[in-house]
Amino acid sequence: MESVLSEVVAVEDLLRFEKKYNAELNAGSVTKGTQFEYAWCLVRSKYTADIKKGVVLLEELVSKGTKEEQRDYIFYLSVANYRLKEYEKALKYIRGLLKTEPKNTQALELEKLIDKAMQKDGLVGMAIVGGMALGVAGLAGLIGLAITKSKS
Amino acid sequence: MTMSFFLFFSSATMATAPYNYSYIFKYIIIGDMGVGKSCLLHQFTEKKFMADCPHTIGVEFGTRIIEVSGQKIKLQIWDTAGQERFRAVTRSYYRGAAGALMVYDITRRSTYNHLSSWLTDARNLTNPNTVIILIGNKADLEAQRDVTYEEAKQFAEENGLLFLEASAKTGENVEDAFLEAAKKIYQNIQDGSLDLNAAESGVQHKPSAPQGGRLTSEPQPQRECCGC
Repeated sequence: MESVLSEVVAVEDLLRFEKKYNAELNAGSVTKGTQFEYAWCLVRSKYTADIKKGVVLLEELVSKGTKEEQRDYIFYLSVANYRLKEYEKALKYIRGLLKTEPKNTQALELEKLIDKAMQKDGLVGMAIVGGMALGVAGLAGLIGLAITKSKS
Repeated sequence: MTMSFFLFFSSATMATAPYNYSYIFKYIIIGDMGVGKSCLLHQFTEKKFMADCPHTIGVEFGTRIIEVSGQKIKLQIWDTAGQERFRAVTRSYYRGAAGALMVYDITRRSTYNHLSSWLTDARNLTNPNTVIILIGNKADLEAQRDVTYEEAKQFAEENGLLFLEASAKTGENVEDAFLEAAKKIYQNIQDGSLDLNAAESGVQHKPSAPQGGRLTSEPQPQRECCGC
């Protein structure tokens, strides 16, 4: 699953599906299939802006899809948000999928990885806050020292 | 003392060599939906049968290290969703595959009839050296058989494919499906027909011991005799 999350789309593929999408867009109507194909490539891009565009396209699709298609959209919305480090959203989407398919191994693996990433983020966050607290305490101590020194 | 420390240190670096395999082979698994592609992969990597597994979303990935002729080989396997709506995008995963498992269900003739279309994709999107193995899955369901062994064998021969019937459920021939393809790829490397330097050979060679490290400037006894 890690490889699925980290794998990057080939530029030529992204361009090909972009062209197909734009052609349909200019002709007046984009099929769900074309929009999904393009979105699936976008969320595998190494550029954040592309991933975000993929998210918008997938969100648009969710309300239009059949049940079977919706799980694709939801799954890739979770993947995209994971890649954007929006772990809360990623978790929300994958848990939505797990509600209808509690035993889906792809979804279970992804949920585990999101949890892991959140824990790691949490630890880093704590370290930063802890470091700042330490810094503030140290600074206060120094000021205190300076004051006592200036008074003496 | 210094010498023994040096030896200890150098053997420690040997033990933590960056790779515990010499090659990486990229595989893809293709075929109609519901033929058991993901179940074959799961049986191969986890040695377990996944009952009632849902249709794959997009692609899945699995790895396992195998051994061919004393060489450790890491298989990186991309398992593609069989449903039509994924097909255009999953085609990009064919690129640079060293091996392809093309799977049909022996109890559903339609999945066999679609093989020529899967084969066309595989041929067009991979390099000429890509080893394709045809797998007739669900061989445990003999009573519901809809495709004979003989006709599939003939199809494989006519198209230059390896062929096996397997069962992801019982595990029968699952190992062999992945191994036979690897043996053939390895043979292609040995006889020089597969160029490792080609961009899309699907094979990466990993030296199994560190090279050019600081310690190797010291004269060291030859660890491996040549030709063995």
